[in-house]
Amino acid sequence: MNTQEPNARPSPPSWSTRFLAWFIKEDYYEDVQGDLEEEFQLIAKGGRVYKARKWYSWQIVKLFKPSMIKRIKPNDSIEKETTMFKNYLKIGLRNLWKYKSSTVINIIGLSTGLAAFVLISLFVKDEYSYDRHFENADEIYRVTVKNYTLDGDISRQWAFASAGHAKRLKEDYSDITHAVRFFPWAFPDIIIGDQKFPGEPVIFAGDDVFDIFSFKFIVGNPETAFTDLYSLVLTEETAVKLYGTDWRDQDIVGSQLKLAGRGQEAPFKVTGVMENMPDQQHFHFDYLAPIRFIEMIFGEDASNNVGGNYNWLTYVKIPSNTDVPALTKTVNDEFWEKYIGQLTRGSASDFYDFEFQPMLDIHLTSNLEGEYETNGSIQQVYIFSVVGLLLLLVACVNYMNIATSHYSRRMKEVGVRKVIGAFKTALIKQFLTESTLITVISLPLCVLLILWALPYLNNFMEKTIVFNPFAQLGLMGSLFLLLLGVGLIAGLYPAIFLSKVNLVQALKGEQSMNASKWNFRSWLVAFQYTVTIALIFAIAVIESQMEFIRNSNPGYNRDQVLSVRISNVSNRETFKNELLANPNIEKASYSSRIPTGRLADSMGSNYFIGDSAVATGFRLPFISVDKDFLNTYEIELVAGENFRDGMEIVFQRDSSGNFLTAPGNYIINETAAKALGYENPVDVVGTVIAYGPSQGRIIGVMKDFHFESMHSPIVPMLIMYRDRYRRISLKLNTNDLRSTLDFIESTYADFDKENPINYRFLDDLFNDQYQQEERLSTMIKVFAVIAIMIGCLGLIGMVGFIIETKLKEIGIRKVLGASTQSIWMMVSNRFLVLVGIAFLIALPISYYLMNGWLDEFVYRTNIGVFIIILPVLLAVLLTLLAISFQTMKATRVNPVECLKDE
Amino acid sequence: MREYQLGEFEEIVLLTVAILHEDAYGVSIKQEIETRLNRKVSVSALQTALRRLESKGYLKSNFGEATAIRGGKRKRYFKVTKAGKSALDYTKETRMSLWSAIPNVTYEYARA
Repeated sequence: MNTQEPNARPSPPSWSTRFLAWFIKEDYYEDVQGDLEEEFQLIAKGGRVYKARKWYSWQIVKLFKPSMIKRIKPNDSIEKETTMFKNYLKIGLRNLWKYKSSTVINIIGLSTGLAAFVLISLFVKDEYSYDRHFENADEIYRVTVKNYTLDGDISRQWAFASAGHAKRLKEDYSDITHAVRFFPWAFPDIIIGDQKFPGEPVIFAGDDVFDIFSFKFIVGNPETAFTDLYSLVLTEETAVKLYGTDWRDQDIVGSQLKLAGRGQEAPFKVTGVMENMPDQQHFHFDYLAPIRFIEMIFGEDASNNVGGNYNWLTYVKIPSNTDVPALTKTVNDEFWEKYIGQLTRGSASDFYDFEFQPMLDIHLTSNLEGEYETNGSIQQVYIFSVVGLLLLLVACVNYMNIATSHYSRRMKEVGVRKVIGAFKTALIKQFLTESTLITVISLPLCVLLILWALPYLNNFMEKTIVFNPFAQLGLMGSLFLLLLGVGLIAGLYPAIFLSKVNLVQALKGEQSMNASKWNFRSWLVAFQYTVTIALIFAIAVIESQMEFIRNSNPGYNRDQVLSVRISNVSNRETFKNELLANPNIEKASYSSRIPTGRLADSMGSNYFIGDSAVATGFRLPFISVDKDFLNTYEIELVAGENFRDGMEIVFQRDSSGNFLTAPGNYIINETAAKALGYENPVDVVGTVIAYGPSQGRIIGVMKDFHFESMHSPIVPMLIMYRDRYRRISLKLNTNDLRSTLDFIESTYADFDKENPINYRFLDDLFNDQYQQEERLSTMIKVFAVIAIMIGCLGLIGMVGFIIETKLKEIGIRKVLGASTQSIWMMVSNRFLVLVGIAFLIALPISYYLMNGWLDEFVYRTNIGVFIIILPVLLAVLLTLLAISFQTMKATRVNPVECLKDE
Repeated sequence: MREYQLGEFEEIVLLTVAILHEDAYGVSIKQEIETRLNRKVSVSALQTALRRLESKGYLKSNFGEATAIRGGKRKRYFKVTKAGKSALDYTKETRMSLWSAIPNVTYEYARA
């Protein structure tokens, strides 16, 4: 066998050869590699293949030196690219400078739109971040209690539970690993040495609190914080308040202080300081103390009841692998029977069941009775998100629009470039470079705008959103990418379109491009009109609903009515009489609650048909008032009479503590009369009902009024003459408010020496009820106006461009004798058609959406013809204004000016 | 008179190309130097010298035949140009004039 076949020869390492081919100058490669290979074979001949290979690779490594390496020649692609890129940049900048107005419009529009979008995103992100900082946040549920009517409808759902719930739920169900209840008791004074801090919001919490909520301790240990009954945990803020800013140096853990309230005093000890609770949390506590202290004061019974008295904020921890709906069902099936079933009290308002509400849903979706703090609204977040996206879209479309029209001015340039030999790709690159140029310029402006506007947004929405362009690099990165994306998309259409244009056509000039009337740009303009019209429509609807609420009559007088809290006023009759002695105070009335508050108190009730008592099938809440209540609030009686002296109800207990049935007189509202089955209110007067531990006649029926806000319908209610007063309402009649208020303050000070006066005007309280809507409408208005402004900027730019392209046409028309008017008509026509199309698209969509929003209100306005027409009128008006302005300029020019070239 | 600058290794390479006359290409030059002067020469150093001499105009090159042992790559034959010859002559003359200028005393000195 002949092993010396040519192809059986050993070969040098191929990667070395490839390396050589990669770096060595092209004209050296052949002979140098040939030489190497020849010598390689010579060395390898003696079977020293390994040595030969080593030698070969080593020689190549040595060859890798400057004199052998390929030169990067000037006509190489990288250098060509950068040179061309520099040229694109230069041309781009020159063009920006040449068309200053459209550049400014573009940059302003883009940066404003983006800034608004980012602000909204920050807001939405903040809303979604609530409570997520807790460890195992998804395992924490709030225990809420649902009340039912006899018909099985939910009458109320409470954010609170009864005192005894937490303990029993934890003991009876192994899936509930921890349970905690919170109770704010009496706002005690805190006394340190001879320093007194009055009315501090100390919250008492169960022992599981630190197992459920991962509050972070600065000093102290959560595991031992509540070991002692008299423990008090502070937050950083309250530590500063109590001990000064240098509390960290004072070693305050273990230091003594006293809680004093309701005539009692107890020694407490600081056991820890937590970090301040973040804003993104649905509750905020300043002090925590063990609830065992409360149990000690209230006694075993009061802190263990399982019916009513929903005042205990209760949370449970349920491991994440648990089937919560099934658990809820089990609990609801068993709990009532086990603990309450035997105590049939026979009233609808007593039956309840539980719902375990995931903590992460609370901030955005929960609006139950007695929420601890005002929550956000998912609706609001949705509306903002939509507005934010629309803003972004409008800004982008606006940009594309102007950019596109701007490019079509440059058909000749494209033509010349093509003649000189520009490739299609080069043209595309050029236009993409130019279009990203503006977006990149917009970025710093956008950041500045955000920084400028954020404090206002925070202030207005009571938020503490942070934006730091140097720290939030991810955010800045995405902002930059977004801008780049906008630039690329905006540049892509003109880039591809222009680069495709026929050479002859291009050199002939732009007229050929505008040959088709309905091009892409028209649709962009139509889109902008659509958004503008829809937004104006939305604003109009929101504004008219707000106007409707502001002007609607709640059924009581709220003008010049002042409500003063009377926590500790002695001798109330004298107080009232002294106030009334002032001629500026017309009427005065005590009551337990006032309109704009909530109807939170209710008792079981029965009504009598003949002699047999029937449980009322609905919740009938009450307030306690004096005989002047209806008069002070100017609430009319539709039947029967008002309270008189001697009709006061006094609940009495017998010697063993049980209530005796007290004789009563009641006034109910029209809705309650209807609910009891009396269509004519006159017929209900004189009927007998039992209400709580009292029984008596309905003496009158008052006209329905909105005790609660107009979000909810008017519910049945009852008032009784009973001294459980917490407020006095004063009807003033004065032009000299200042001195009247001074008088009220000094009189109050005579009767309550401890507490400062606390009063509010009723119309302020009334407006507070709609604060969320007011905020929402203001924010939407602001952002919508921004969107509309951007749209208008675009419009002005578009009109200007179209007129510019038609300058010759206008010139010729003028030479032939056309009037300014007819030229104006010619330009406007096209836009008016677009407005029409936009109107047809925008109206059904926005009508549907806004009608849905209005449906959330029980009392709502109707969308009238005016509201439908208004946006179109505005759009047309804006267009005509823009056109008039630009046409004026165009028609004033001497036709010779625009016809003389070419 | 124009300066002829030749490095030591360049001079050797140039001389070797002249010696090999019609057969001077990478491998033969290298082997010639290695056998005659008994020193190792790397391809890199040789190539660098050859290209420098070529760019100075002392050598010119053209492709020759390809052989199987070279994997089908052609040889690059080098030839000494007229300028190369002058450079060699110049170098030789300058050396000779230097040699002849050495006085005999120097040898005695060196011997001591």
